This record gives sequence, structure tokens and C-alpha cells, in this order.
Amino acid sequence: MATQLSPRRPTSGAADTPSVVVTTRSPAGAWWRAYRHHLRLLRNTAIAWTVALAGLGAGVVATFEDRLPTEAARAAAAATEGVPAFEALLGRFVRPDSLEGFVLSRWTGVFAIVVAVWGMLAATKLLRGAEEAGHTEPLRAGVLSPHGLLGAAVAAMLTWFALFAVAVGATHSAAGMDAATAWALGSAMGLLATTIAAVGTLVSQVAATRRRATQLVGTVLGVLLAVRVLAAATTTPDWVWWATPFGWIGFLHEIDEARTAVFTGFAVLVVLLFAAAFVVGRRDLHAGIVGGTEPAAARARPVGGQLGLTARTTGASMAGWAGVLAAAAFVFSALTDDFVAVFVDMDAEAAAIYEQMGYVALDTHEGYVAIVLGFFFVVGVALFSAVQAAAIREEEASWRIEHLLARPVGRVRWLVTRTLAAAIGVVVLGVVVGVVVWAATALGGATLAFSDALLAGVNLMPAALLFLGLGILVFGLAPRLTAPLTFGLVIATYLLDFVGPLLELPDGLLDVSPFRHLAAVPASDLDVIAALIMLAIGTLAALAGGAAFRYRDLKEA
Amino acid sequence: MAGSEVAAIRFVETTKHYGEVVGLERLTLDVGGGEIVGLLGPNGAGKTTAIRTLLGLLKPTAGRAEIFGIDAWQHPVDAHRKLAYIPGEFHVWPQLTGGQILDLLGTVSGGYDPAFRDELIERFNFDPSKRGRSYSKGNRQKIAVIAALMTRAPLLVMDEPSSGLDPLMTATFQDCLREAKAAGQTIFLSSHILSEVEAVCDRVAVLRQGLLVEHGTLAELRHLHVNTVEATYLGAPPDLDGVPGVEDVQVRDGRIRLHVTGSTDPLLKALARAEVVSIQMREPTLEELFHAYYDETSHAADTAA
Repeated sequence: MATQLSPRRPTSGAADTPSVVVTTRSPAGAWWRAYRHHLRLLRNTAIAWTVALAGLGAGVVATFEDRLPTEAARAAAAATEGVPAFEALLGRFVRPDSLEGFVLSRWTGVFAIVVAVWGMLAATKLLRGAEEAGHTEPLRAGVLSPHGLLGAAVAAMLTWFALFAVAVGATHSAAGMDAATAWALGSAMGLLATTIAAVGTLVSQVAATRRRATQLVGTVLGVLLAVRVLAAATTTPDWVWWATPFGWIGFLHEIDEARTAVFTGFAVLVVLLFAAAFVVGRRDLHAGIVGGTEPAAARARPVGGQLGLTARTTGASMAGWAGVLAAAAFVFSALTDDFVAVFVDMDAEAAAIYEQMGYVALDTHEGYVAIVLGFFFVVGVALFSAVQAAAIREEEASWRIEHLLARPVGRVRWLVTRTLAAAIGVVVLGVVVGVVVWAATALGGATLAFSDALLAGVNLMPAALLFLGLGILVFGLAPRLTAPLTFGLVIATYLLDFVGPLLELPDGLLDVSPFRHLAAVPASDLDVIAALIMLAIGTLAALAGGAAFRYRDLKEA
Repeated sequence: MAGSEVAAIRFVETTKHYGEVVGLERLTLDVGGGEIVGLLGPNGAGKTTAIRTLLGLLKPTAGRAEIFGIDAWQHPVDAHRKLAYIPGEFHVWPQLTGGQILDLLGTVSGGYDPAFRDELIERFNFDPSKRGRSYSKGNRQKIAVIAALMTRAPLLVMDEPSSGLDPLMTATFQDCLREAKAAGQTIFLSSHILSEVEAVCDRVAVLRQGLLVEHGTLAELRHLHVNTVEATYLGAPPDLDGVPGVEDVQVRDGRIRLHVTGSTDPLLKALARAEVVSIQMREPTLEELFHAYYDETSHAADTAA
């Protein structure tokens, strides 16, 4: 042993009395600092989404003429107006053969959902996530009141949403869209994000954890979207569309009175929600009504070992996703006949244009199922993979992994177990969607072979498994980027596949998106080669990620 | 420790750098079977880095750490078979109950003594029926303590184990450590609660800025540090000129006060030659040693700067 012992002189042991630094702190100054702090917390995602959505939307505006170049193409597009299945997918849209109508239909479809999810995540991050992470306590211990802190967070969100609205309005009008409609669109999207963020703000005062708050706001989003589907499926007057903010956007390009009603609706809803949040926001730190104190669970069954823990945590997540996807699959599948009826008499030129866009056999049940699954469900299952990769990282970031790896549990075994459980989850989701699609179409009287429906479900798996593998690779190499990079990859490649062709991006770039390589099953055969390539890349990525994880330090959040 | 005996813990030139930052620098230290060794140091001294490197959670930049002769980085699973670990901050699975977490950790450890677990639950006054997210910091730490002790592992590694425990529970915990030592278990714990280290540890190692600056038994540390001696006498004051280790002698009104370093035998013999009425000798507490060391090194650092 290399011991270096040397005499030391004893002291009284009393440390010097630290000098007390007294600073004058005004509530206004503290509020301003809190506001800037919250601005910074949202900065990266806000800039990313603003640039991506405003840029992609402006690209759609700029390339409209190329998308619908002929009268026949415009007539085919016009024929989709008022078709329930299309409105269920894209929301309410009018005159999709016009520039404004075409662009608005893109925004009401996917972009609006992305904007809403952004609003949800921003609110739960600032209003509950920061509190969970212990960032709120020092701020609350100062001169800032709970309401002051809440106000600073809300103001930061409003700032970013306002900048987003301005970016959308400016880029779209600059790209050639009618200026009034462009600015109305930007304002409405900013207000949509604000509305969902207001829901998130309110729910974050009620739910005791960010996870629970996100679940609740996600449920609200699901209900609002379900109302949109209901509005699309019913033949009742327009008032059903007014029951959900996702429906309001569809009235933007109409008469001024409708626009006024849209903005009034948003404003009233936002004010009411934020007011409610401020009322219930006077609460104890870390307290909540939902998901806070837990009842005693004296009869809780043992979890078992690591396998049991994995099955329990992944299984709960998988069950939730399966429920949501099954419900959505049932609703969309029930609209099969409405959709098919529109395209039965479609002429060859229009069919060719749709085929060029990747939509084949639109006059068949198989064609509709392929569109619906390709539009929503493939990205849904891919997002499940991203969630699982993020959950794997969370075990490390929270340092819970230490309890296992400091015991006789190998890193590789732990990661393989978690990854396989996630992969099984992907397979289960694909099978569930396939079976539900078959059952729903059969109940609706449509004919879709069980094997075709099941193959359509199988077709959801390769891209999701690829993203799971990529997520594990990021986890191995740059663990702190696991969630942002994996979610970013899924959403960016999905938007690339969705909007890229409209922007006439080069094929080499479009081919980067895994979604582009998925066949329109069951309207087409399963592309086995593409599926195997995706599986191979995903597997290799996961193996490389596992090797990197084995030989790196554990890293905290 | 006998030469042929495999050390329970062995750090061999173990070094860990985080980029430019030194976490641990050439740490060489053995812990023999049945010993309780305390790792002392202020925040950022490298205690947690040392323990996480020992557990194979961090990759050494150089050197190695062994548990019962097994390289902890190369073969972590084998190294952990005879080990139980208490982290300084226990992060729970929020959806699991305390009982489920104990069962989980016991199972992945390779088994545990259910009767002893129940006894520990009773002694630590712990309610295992609540969900993880509803436990206070202290109760979460109880889970970590019980989960480690109930395995009766030959080696217990602890990183500030009593963090968050109240004084009563801390006393119970120290009783458990003594029982574990009596049962032949080896304990390696880091702490900056000096009284805890002083109460239970056989040997102490002191880290500063990643460097092992001192280690030895408490007696050795005290022996090599300065003791304070006060005596009263009649007649002429004792002649202490040239007595080894004696310094700072103050004589006033029949009282003498001095510091002595190392062996006190020459001093006692010198005092015996005078008419000494009473004598008091006080060893420094570990806390005083700790402060003395850091005050001195901080002063040296300031001077160098």
C-alpha cells in the first residue's frame, strides 16, 4: 500500500463564518429572470419546429402548381371535398383544388397535430417537468409568487407561439399564398398551440407528475381528434366541427365572419383555460389531485427479476398504445365504404396522379386501408419505438439502472431484454392494428381478407423496428440525445415522406426516409426486400449501440 | 491482510478523468476481508467516482479496480456476485411498491434472506406497501439499505449510505454495520459524516481532488497527528528542551501546555523528572484531523497560488 502519512496540526474544527451576501431582489426582476429561464427551456424545440413547419408549409405553397398541373388533376382533387374518410384524415377542408384550400388541407391534417403535440409538451415541460426536476423549488423560495412563476412560464410559451405564427404567416404569404389567408393560418396555428398548451397548463396543476399530465393532455387531444372524425363521419351540419379546435381551422379560408368566429373561439377558450389554471395553480409544491398520493398496495404481487420488471414497464406502455391504435383503427376502418365510393368512377388520369403520390387502388377497400395505415399508423408505431428508446435512456438518466448493474446483471443482458421487449411491443401493435382493421371492415360490410389485414399490420413493423435500432444506437453513442434524436428522426423522416414529394425534393434525399420504402399493403404486396433491409439496418444499429453501451460510462441526465 | 489472501477490494493505480477534469488519480488501495474501511473527502473529492469505478459503472481511464480478484470493468457480473451496494441517493421505480422493489433487487442479487428482510423492515420502521413515488428521501434510502443488508453479501459497498436517515435510523444503521462486521462481512463506505466513520471504521482513506492523500487505521492517523497535552506542576517547570516531537510549549502559573507529534513516551519521561501534579492528553477527533488536513492543504494551495 502506498501510504503517505504526515503530521497534521489539530484545529478547533470551526469553519470560518461565511459572509452573508444580501441582494435586493424585486418581484419584477425575479419575474423577468424566470421568464427568460423558461424561454431558454423551450428555445431549441421552438426554433426547430418553427423552422421545419413554416419551411415545409411554404414549400407546399411554392410547389402547388406542379402538384395539380392539369384540369383533370384539379377535378380529382376537388372530388375529395366533403368525403368523410378524407375529412377524417385531413380535417375539414374546402376547395382543395385551389392554392389556399390545398395548403390549408395539409395544415389541418398532419401539421395541426404536430403543432398540438408541441403545445402539449411545452406546457407539461414548463409547468410540471421543471417542478419534478427540482428547478421550481429555488424559484418559488425567492420573491416570486406561485402565480408569478406560472405567469412567467405562460408568457414564455406565448412568446414562442407568437413567433411561430409570425413565421408561418410571413413565409406562406412570401411564397405566394393570399396574404390574409396566410396570416390567418399562422395566427390560427399559433392559437391552436396556445390552446393545447393552456389545456396542458391546467392539467399540469391537477396531475402530480409530468407523465400523468402528458397522458391526460394526450387523452384530451385524442378526444378532440375523435370529435373531428365524428364530424367527418356524420352528415349533420357544420356545428359538429365547431366542437373541436381541430375543426375550427377548416373555416379559416371562408368568409370573414367565420374567421372572426374561429379567433373568438380560440381567444375565449385560451382565456378560460389559463384562468382556470391560475385558480387551481395555488397549490403545494409537487402536489396534484391526479396521480399523486398512491393507495397502499399491500397485496402487490412480486415483480420477479429483471425480466419481470421489463415485462411490467414495457407491457403497461404497450397496452396503452395498443388501446389507442385499436380504437383509431376501428374508427377509420368503419369509414371504408364512404371513401371507396368516391373513387369508383375516377378517370385514368386522376388515378395516375394519385398513384404518383403513392396512393394506389383507391377504389378498393385495400387501397383505403393502405392509405390510412400509411398516413397515421405507421408513424404511430414508429413513435412507440421512439418512446421505448427514450424509456430505456430514462432508466439510465434517473440512475435506476445503477441498482441493477451494481448487482450481477450484465449491461448487455439488460439492454437486450429491454430492446427485445420493445420489439415484441412493435409486433403486438402491428398485429393488433391488423386484426382490428379486419374486424372493423368486416362489421362494416366491406370485404377484406384476414391475411391481407394482418399483412397490413405486419407492414407497420419494419420501419418501427428500424427506428428502435437507431434509437439504441443513439443510446449507446450519445445517450443524452436518445429521446430528441430518435423522436426527431421519426418525425423528420415522416414529414420528409409526406411533404418531400410536394416540394419536389431530389429522390436521393427522399429515399432517406424509411416510410418511403413501405409498400401500400394490402393494396400492394409486402415489399419483403425493403422490409428485410430495414430489419437488417435496425439490427446492426442495435448491435452497435449495445457494444457502445457496454464500453462507455453510465451518464446521468 | 495475509499476502496470499485475495483482497475484497483492490484499486490498482485506478485513474478516472472526465475530459480535462480529474475524477480519480492513481488510486491504490486494498481492503481486506472483514474490514470496515471508510473513504473520506469533501464534495467533489472523488469518492463517488471511486465507488462507481469499483462497481464497473465507470470505465477507468487507467489502472483497474478488482472485487475479490475480479476486474470490475472487464467482468462486472462475476465481480458483483458477492457484493451488495447502497447508493447515496436511491431512485425508485415509481410504480412499484417498496416491497416489490426489495423483492426485485433481492432476486437480481441472486437471492436474499426473507426472514432477515422482515427483521430489517421492522428495525428500520419501514412501510413496504406504498408506491415508490410516494416515499420520502429517507424512506427511499431505507429501501437501499434493507435491499443491500438482506442479501448478507460478503462485501457491502456504500456511497454515503446514511444520507437522508434520521438520527435514530442512523444509529440503527450503524448497529447493522457492526453486526455485519461481526458476521465477517467486509464494508467499504464513503461518507462525509465523520462521526459515522469514526464510530464504525477500522481504517480510513482520505481523498482530495481525486488523490489519495492519507490512509491508515484511526490509531495510526491519530498517532501521526499532533496531540494536545496540558499539565500542572509544582516547583520548577519541566525541562522539555530537545524532547522529540514537542513544540508550541506555553508555560504560565504552574501550568504547561504543548503539542506533541508521534510517540508520547519521551515526553512522559521528561515530565516524570519534574513534580507534575496532573496531566491531560487529548487525541484529536477524526473531525479535527479532517479539518486540520484540509485547512493546511487549502492554505498551502492558497500560498502557492
